[in-house]
Amino acid sequence: MLEIINLKASINKRDILNGLNLKINPGEVHAIMGPNGSGKSTLANILSGKNGYKITGDLKYKGENLKDIPVEQRAQKGIFLAFQYPIEIPGVNTNNFLKTSLNTIRKAKGEKEIDTLAFLKLVKEKAKELGIDEKILSRQLNVGFSGGEKKKNEILQMKILDPNLVILDETDSGLDIDALKTIADGVNSSRSKDKSFLVITHYQRLLDYIKPDFVHVLSSGKIVKSGSRELALELEKKGYKKIN
Amino acid sequence: MIENFKISLKEIDKINLINQEDKNYRIKNLEFFNKKGFPTKKEEDWKFSDLREIFSKNFKKIDINDTYPEENKFRLIKEFDHNYILLINGRLIRSDFKFEDKNKIKITGYKEENFLREKSNNPLICLNNALSNEGYNLVVEKDYKFEKVLVIYNLFNEDLSEKILNNKNKIIVKKNSELHTIEYTINRSKNKFFNNTYENIILYENAKFKNICIQAGRSEGYFHKFLNGSIKSDSKYSSFIFSSGLKFNKQDIKIDLEGKNSDCEIKSALFLNKEDHQEIKTVVNHLVPNCKSFQKIKSVLDSNAKGVYQGKIFVKDIAQKTNAYQLSKALLISENSEFDSKPELEIYADDVKCSHGSTSGNVDENSIHYLMTRGLTKKEATQLLINGFLKEIISDIKSETIKKFVENKLEFQVYGY
Amino acid sequence: MNNQDINTNQEYKYGFTTDIENIRAPKGLNENTIKFISKMKKEPQWMLDWRLKAYNRLKNLTEPNWQKPKYPKIDYQNLYYYSAPKSAAEKPKSLDEVDPKLIETYKKLGIPLNEQKRLSGVAVDAVFDSVSVATTYKEELTKKGIIFCSISEAIQKHPDLVKKYLGSVIPLTDHYFATLNSAVFTDGSFVYIPPKVRCPMELSTYFRINASETGQFERTLIIADKGSYVSYLEGCTAPMRDENQLHAANVELVALDDAEIKYSTVQNWYPGDKDGVGGIYNFVTKRGACRGKNSKISWTQVETGSAITWKYPSCILQGDNSVGEFYSIAITNNHQKADTGTKMIHLGKNTKSKIISKGISAGQADNTYRGLVDIGKKALNSRNYTQCDSLLMGNKCGAHTVPYIKNKNSSSTVEHEATTSKINEEQLYYCNQRGLNQEEAVSLIVNGFCKEVLQQLPMEFAVEAQKLVGISLEGSVG
Repeated sequence: MLEIINLKASINKRDILNGLNLKINPGEVHAIMGPNGSGKSTLANILSGKNGYKITGDLKYKGENLKDIPVEQRAQKGIFLAFQYPIEIPGVNTNNFLKTSLNTIRKAKGEKEIDTLAFLKLVKEKAKELGIDEKILSRQLNVGFSGGEKKKNEILQMKILDPNLVILDETDSGLDIDALKTIADGVNSSRSKDKSFLVITHYQRLLDYIKPDFVHVLSSGKIVKSGSRELALELEKKGYKKIN
Repeated sequence: MIENFKISLKEIDKINLINQEDKNYRIKNLEFFNKKGFPTKKEEDWKFSDLREIFSKNFKKIDINDTYPEENKFRLIKEFDHNYILLINGRLIRSDFKFEDKNKIKITGYKEENFLREKSNNPLICLNNALSNEGYNLVVEKDYKFEKVLVIYNLFNEDLSEKILNNKNKIIVKKNSELHTIEYTINRSKNKFFNNTYENIILYENAKFKNICIQAGRSEGYFHKFLNGSIKSDSKYSSFIFSSGLKFNKQDIKIDLEGKNSDCEIKSALFLNKEDHQEIKTVVNHLVPNCKSFQKIKSVLDSNAKGVYQGKIFVKDIAQKTNAYQLSKALLISENSEFDSKPELEIYADDVKCSHGSTSGNVDENSIHYLMTRGLTKKEATQLLINGFLKEIISDIKSETIKKFVENKLEFQVYGY
Repeated sequence: MNNQDINTNQEYKYGFTTDIENIRAPKGLNENTIKFISKMKKEPQWMLDWRLKAYNRLKNLTEPNWQKPKYPKIDYQNLYYYSAPKSAAEKPKSLDEVDPKLIETYKKLGIPLNEQKRLSGVAVDAVFDSVSVATTYKEELTKKGIIFCSISEAIQKHPDLVKKYLGSVIPLTDHYFATLNSAVFTDGSFVYIPPKVRCPMELSTYFRINASETGQFERTLIIADKGSYVSYLEGCTAPMRDENQLHAANVELVALDDAEIKYSTVQNWYPGDKDGVGGIYNFVTKRGACRGKNSKISWTQVETGSAITWKYPSCILQGDNSVGEFYSIAITNNHQKADTGTKMIHLGKNTKSKIISKGISAGQADNTYRGLVDIGKKALNSRNYTQCDSLLMGNKCGAHTVPYIKNKNSSSTVEHEATTSKINEEQLYYCNQRGLNQEEAVSLIVNGFCKEVLQQLPMEFAVEAQKLVGISLEGSVG
């Protein structure tokens, strides 16, 4: 699904990633853990195609080199980033936004556009599945949403857009336990053999609910240790410093 | 008659001039003024302050001032240590920099060569260009920070009666230097006069200049001041204006932010009463990237007073990352008072944060009610609220003794009526 | 934002011309032209006298020059002041008699003249160059006592109403363009809503300039009698021509006690090409009088067209408790210039006004909000709230905010806020990550920025306006 080879990235001449390698097969769930400033969010941004980074190395998605593919086309090809801080866009209705988004992705896939009725039915269904109050969808996009609502909204979008590669960028940060469960349920119910997940987190708490196949420790822009789920527990006990 | 007010070219002959070019420049300016006269509301910059109308109501005649008496009887401010210069009717009389390194400071009176010959469409600036021959020139050499504040005593003598005074001042703060001044106006004239000042401020790289302007106490003075500021990179200009009790006062401030990371702050608290008419006009030109500007103008208007704020933020196309904010708040506490404002933005760069806000209205009824339930009379409650409203500006003054001094002056205005 | 791959602008959709035979007055502005217009319209003497009075006044006026957009001198003697499709010289009695070419033109514009294929619930008056060619739904409206017809017809059939109200909001001797209009206006719409009647449908006028070298001077007069309500919409298009065409309309609204008028405009005159050649000069005077107590006038405008737009739909709040509103979107791209805003004149007690203005500039365009809020001495307990937001795309365009605020009343409150910014890069990134390309993302975010104004429009037109917002900005971002 995703292959990262010797990825180096810098912004404003500051090196952030220093030769990162990672391979994610279809159906796998990988967790990347690391302290603040280790380059976790940068990795998420680079995979989504955000401008402003100087990059060397290879990024392959479904065998295709991602270099030179702009953000929206990556999204259309099935890469979804659940943002750490979903931005507020005043005046834009969440439902309208989501429908526009879904239809551009469907169009790119060569599928027919979905009409409003079918869309609303789909949204209702997914919201119910996740136990999310669909009222938030008639509000302005992320405007005045609580932290939990913003994150839930990201997961709902993931459900509706049905991507192949999902990157969760610290989706657990600042959430209470109920919201965390909602989000984990959303992810777990989406797991399938043709979907992969990259879960970026600071704490192992999330991994009690989303059980990863692999855990990687990111430090100073490199993966310094990889292992199974137990690695996360070890990290929790010993802290990041000891792992190096 | 003020309506067809003209000044004889002979006035220029009274000024000591060696240079014919200077003389021609003055003549041209006077001719322009004579053609235009005092500005009226038909001119955009004077839309809310019709000076010709104000003058024709209040002056029967008006002449050029030519008396500058020596004066020793004035008392220095006791509340805090300070350096000072004394101006009488605009003329530099003496100075005292006892707290400072005298090698780092140059102070002289008016000098023709200190000012560029600029063309202006503003009749009052032309009038000043034509006739000014008094003022001061202050230079702070580089790498010098003032130890104590410099008070500029701006004293107007009893003998002034229906006179125009034209002064020109210049302040230069060189690289890495810091100056803090208090411009303290003392009006002794019981008669009407008009002071028309042009001031030029230049801050070089990494310089700081903070000025507190206090014009308080009832007076028969009519004031107009044009301030032309040029701010180079990494330097900061801040100005606090506290003025009240003047018949007419217009402070017309133009600041050019010419160097990167420069910063300009203008704050004002005005309490106007009786027939006072006061205008603050600011134009801040963001000419290069990464500069900041901030204006906060608070006015309280009582009796028949009229307050005006015209503020413009201009951002040139290359001035990206500009951060500019402007706020004007006015309280109208009498039914005959008026507040007019024109907060203007003219912006050509897209990566900027520029905004302004302007409100005018009465003192909050709920707050008054709350205070009255605590036993205050309506007048006391109102005074308390307007004092608080204006004090917010003072709270930004860092020095405690100076803050206290300004506060007393302001409280006298608010409670003294 | 970079401008690397600027797409070519979507062609102006309404840029076609219609090949129709015209009757024209000879070029030039003089008494004979005015007499010709009046004669062609079979006007009574009092109307001609009124026009000539305006013309005499005009001779002593000069064009205003304080507005920001400057334009080349207009040669008023080299313009046609009257141009009418020949076939409409005798006003058709039913749609069957309307020239099929005209029907075809309006079909291309998407304006439903044909009542069989009508857009539900909208009555349309169509003005082609100088004359009103068709008014739909007349019968249904007549049943309720509503008068909706061309102003020419109203002058003949309802002279008392016209005499009473025409020029009562925009006096005969106003500024240059308004007075010019009073002298040479050709057609426009007239609406009268009788007391206590709620107009059951949107009333709409579509204006079309077709003929070249022709000025268009319409005159619209809307009167809402006591306790009535009407919602009115105008739309405008013009063919693409290299020359600049002058459009100087006057719109007067009168709301009596407890009446409400909602006036919406979607202005999409030809803006000129991307180098700034051609386009309409849209110098329009719009003014409403809230004459009665508890009356309300609400202006909503979406201004995307014209080379130069220069208009200030205003409210004179005379009646106690009256309300004035102004909602505006002005989008300028390429070389377009807009100087627009409003005047809220508070005269009555407890009057309220609200101004929401959204200006968007792209390309080399200039966009100015200019407005006046004036609270008079007798306007006790009045309130104004103003919000002006500007969005800039690139650093070759400009945004200006020039509000004049006068408060002469201590019991009244005025609040004004303004901001200028660009589209937030993070918002664009978020939209991109959800699969939207740059233009879709910009259109979405800008529509969000304009939402408060768009939601004021009647449903049928909100959708059209939203699309227009997107189209107007195409090619403005890389």
